[in-house]
Amino acid sequence: MPGEPDCEVLLADHDPDLRAELVQADGLDRAYVALSTPLGIEALPPDAGRPLLDAWHDGAAALPPEFRAWAAPCVSEPDAAELASLLDRGFAGACLPAEALLTQAGLDRCGPLLEVLEERDAPLFVHPGPAPDTLAALGTTVRSEPAWWPALTRYVAAMNAAWHAFGTFGRPAHPRLRVCFAMLAGLAPLQRERLVARGGSTASDPDIFLDTSSYGPRAVDAVIRELGVDALAHGSDRPVAQPAEPGLGEAVEVALRSRNPARLMRLAEVPA
Amino acid sequence: MSLRLTFDRNLDLPALRRLVSQIAADRAAWSALVNLDIEHRHYAQLCRDDHLDVWVISWMNGHDTGFHDHDLSSGAVAVVEGELVEERLTIGGPPRRRSYGAGTSFHFDASHVHRMHQAGGGPAISIHAYSPPLWRMGAYAIEADGALRRTSISYAEELRPAASDAA
Repeated sequence: MPGEPDCEVLLADHDPDLRAELVQADGLDRAYVALSTPLGIEALPPDAGRPLLDAWHDGAAALPPEFRAWAAPCVSEPDAAELASLLDRGFAGACLPAEALLTQAGLDRCGPLLEVLEERDAPLFVHPGPAPDTLAALGTTVRSEPAWWPALTRYVAAMNAAWHAFGTFGRPAHPRLRVCFAMLAGLAPLQRERLVARGGSTASDPDIFLDTSSYGPRAVDAVIRELGVDALAHGSDRPVAQPAEPGLGEAVEVALRSRNPARLMRLAEVPA
Repeated sequence: MSLRLTFDRNLDLPALRRLVSQIAADRAAWSALVNLDIEHRHYAQLCRDDHLDVWVISWMNGHDTGFHDHDLSSGAVAVVEGELVEERLTIGGPPRRRSYGAGTSFHFDASHVHRMHQAGGGPAISIHAYSPPLWRMGAYAIEADGALRRTSISYAEELRPAASDAA
């Protein structure tokens, strides 16, 4: 991974049939999977990235029925027609790297992709990962930090910035787009008191969601206090980290595992 | 804090009960935190992590928590010295009362509402453990007409009887 300590990949962790069994064991009907955005493949020049992205899309389209996948569009030269054809193939929405969406310029550059999603009523998933410029800046230096380092520093900072950038610049340009921020948006909603103190707006937005990947009862509870329970969706970083239950009661469980994902993904309402 | 304990999950009731008994027997781990103060029940945190907090509480005559709950936390108490009385609130009758002397312990789940006070007859020392760690608590007062009133407080507040149920 660019800019990250080496990490060992166990192929068995990615076996589609074993993973499908885990989806069932978790009591879920379906898991929405994304290419690992921190790999930076979406940020490569199109010629370098396309063979890998094509391979991902072909593999993801053939997964067992317990899965649907997020499209992984190239962000170095965003191609709206290509994303439209991926949505035609059945991809649930698009997953974009947070560092491509940190600023108005980044959101403008990815604007054609966001417009396609908005037109198709398909959601955007914002996940930590580099943009073309930040990928180049990461270089190839071997890192000595512990394996969790980027997930607790770079990812948190990027998700926090992407959250604030979307609220400030992305929402006015894409008023109907549904967006899910991974990892509770790096706990960006907990900055709302600070945002208010400095004159920012905290208007509620029913089309914004956050997934809970790698967080547990305390962070989930804190974000629910800020945004209400309707904004959160169950998420996991499997196989890097196991999904955790917040343990906040059945009503929260139904909201995070059924009702809110159904709204995000435009599924038929799941009876509570 | 002189005790280092780490757990990777919340403790169940038997584990909490065993833990307070073990800590009670390890006087060196907490004796420096004992502080018998006639004015205030003294509570000192022995450890706190993601799944557990442990307290040493020093009681003098008349010290009383008032009725309270522990929100999401289960707990266990071991009495090391002296005697404590636990009262549980009942509707339409006197509180259900039980005494715990030195060397005894008890536990309770998060639904438990109780009041603890020193039994008279000398200071008491007790070890208290809660899992998950205390965060919010409910402090109850009984009005003169019998109505119950709950105040939400942080775990850092000193539990004491509300004016109306101090008598």
